[in-house]
Amino acid sequence: MIELEHVDFSYEKNHPILKDISAKFGENGSKVVGIIGPNGTGKSTLFLNLVGILKPTSGKILVDNQPINYSKKGLNQLRQKVGIVFQNSDQQIFYSIVKDDVAFALHNLDVPKDEIKQRVNTILRELDISHLKDRPIQYLSGGQKKRVAIAGILVLNSEWLLLDEPTAGLDPDGKRRMVELIKHLIDRGQKVILSSHDIDFMYEVCDYFYILQAGHIVKSGQKETVFDDEKALLKNKLDQPWLVKIHQKLHLPLYANEAELFADKTLQAKLAKLE
Amino acid sequence: MLVIDKYAYSNRIVKWSPKIKGLLWLLGIILAFQPIILIKIVVLAVVIWHTLYATKMSVRVYLHWLYAILPFLLLSVIGIVFTMSPKASQIYYPIHLFGSYFGVSKVMLPRGLRLGVQVLTAVVCTYWFALTTPFQQIILMLKAVHMPALMIEETMLMYRFIFIFIEACEQIYRAQKLRLGYRTFRLSIHSAGILVKMLFQQVMTDYQQMVYALDAKLYNGEFKVGEDDE
Repeated sequence: MIELEHVDFSYEKNHPILKDISAKFGENGSKVVGIIGPNGTGKSTLFLNLVGILKPTSGKILVDNQPINYSKKGLNQLRQKVGIVFQNSDQQIFYSIVKDDVAFALHNLDVPKDEIKQRVNTILRELDISHLKDRPIQYLSGGQKKRVAIAGILVLNSEWLLLDEPTAGLDPDGKRRMVELIKHLIDRGQKVILSSHDIDFMYEVCDYFYILQAGHIVKSGQKETVFDDEKALLKNKLDQPWLVKIHQKLHLPLYANEAELFADKTLQAKLAKLE
Repeated sequence: MLVIDKYAYSNRIVKWSPKIKGLLWLLGIILAFQPIILIKIVVLAVVIWHTLYATKMSVRVYLHWLYAILPFLLLSVIGIVFTMSPKASQIYYPIHLFGSYFGVSKVMLPRGLRLGVQVLTAVVCTYWFALTTPFQQIILMLKAVHMPALMIEETMLMYRFIFIFIEACEQIYRAQKLRLGYRTFRLSIHSAGILVKMLFQQVMTDYQQMVYALDAKLYNGEFKVGEDDE
């Protein structure tokens, strides 16, 4: 579990980015935590704090009940437990060939060569990018680069995976594949924290939410309840997921995802009667 | 996007060992600089033919690549061949100028042409190597000849980021051009200045984000290069 206790953060005095943030990620068995908020509310800054790249100006972050140890060794351990994938893939891929880049973190840990090879192959297969193995990075599409960036972190087998705006700049196909990928990761037990303002995407994959507004957590809760108040969401420059909208406005049941809606046989029967 | 790179990854001899390609390149350079002119010309023709065959490139595209260096080559040859001399007999097509003669020197003409062929052959050989060898193989070759690790690391990182840099540069340039930033010479100078400034700023912010990403991947000061087999 990752726990934040009254975390404040500012780059310069009197300009706080994060204000009194308290949260427990992974509480009550929630596996996919969503941080939603409009642009510039401090989502990325929060992430940088979670992996120890930035240090809270006050307050504490506890990982498995231990406060983060900011020594070099402590941070090394933290980053094997909490991996982060940034928004811009190009800035986190350093090698020119896919497999070399995915192996990078393992080389840094002095993992034996054979094991590196095997772990890289496993991850590439899992993310369905084995065919890109020997490809130069600059000829990959945005979605493919994103996968390579994720593979480069997943290869560490960290307990937590932080994804900052994973759907930014992806086309519908890339987005669909991203949803599938995240669901697959969750199924095999990966704990994920996502940040995004893509509400429908977040509703589809996350089970617990924190709504961030100007550095504050203004609301948190389960998927079923957190999007109740449309006015409050609009005020926070966000929107209701469309499945919640049709639930509230057309009084349909509240579906957890699109597939559930389209598979609802009773609804289909009722609609057929209307004709 | 550097098109030259595309050929390097998708040509008929991409699977050849980089060491063999490196040795062939060296052989080509040696043959270009040996004294017999006929051999040079044969090498020139064979290498051009093989480059076209291996990369499936059209003659036009290939010539297009050569245009990049032809002006330098021509200028050098012209500089060597043309001369002033007091005696008209030393010069082909002498022009009388300021009491002496200007024109193509009878002594220097063969030398200039020989040099031209020599340079052209060497360049063509280098093109052959660059157009048929993917970057990864060049790295393996550098490793095989025991280049210092630092230099190989640097080469690799430069190759990775040059594409991003060129792309950023192109984007800014296009945006400026669309808003008529290069309409006159004065404006061009001004816009180019802004372009350089913006690129510099971008490099600084990108650098910060790269440091974060390196941290996340447990970077310890060393990039392992070419650890793998080929």
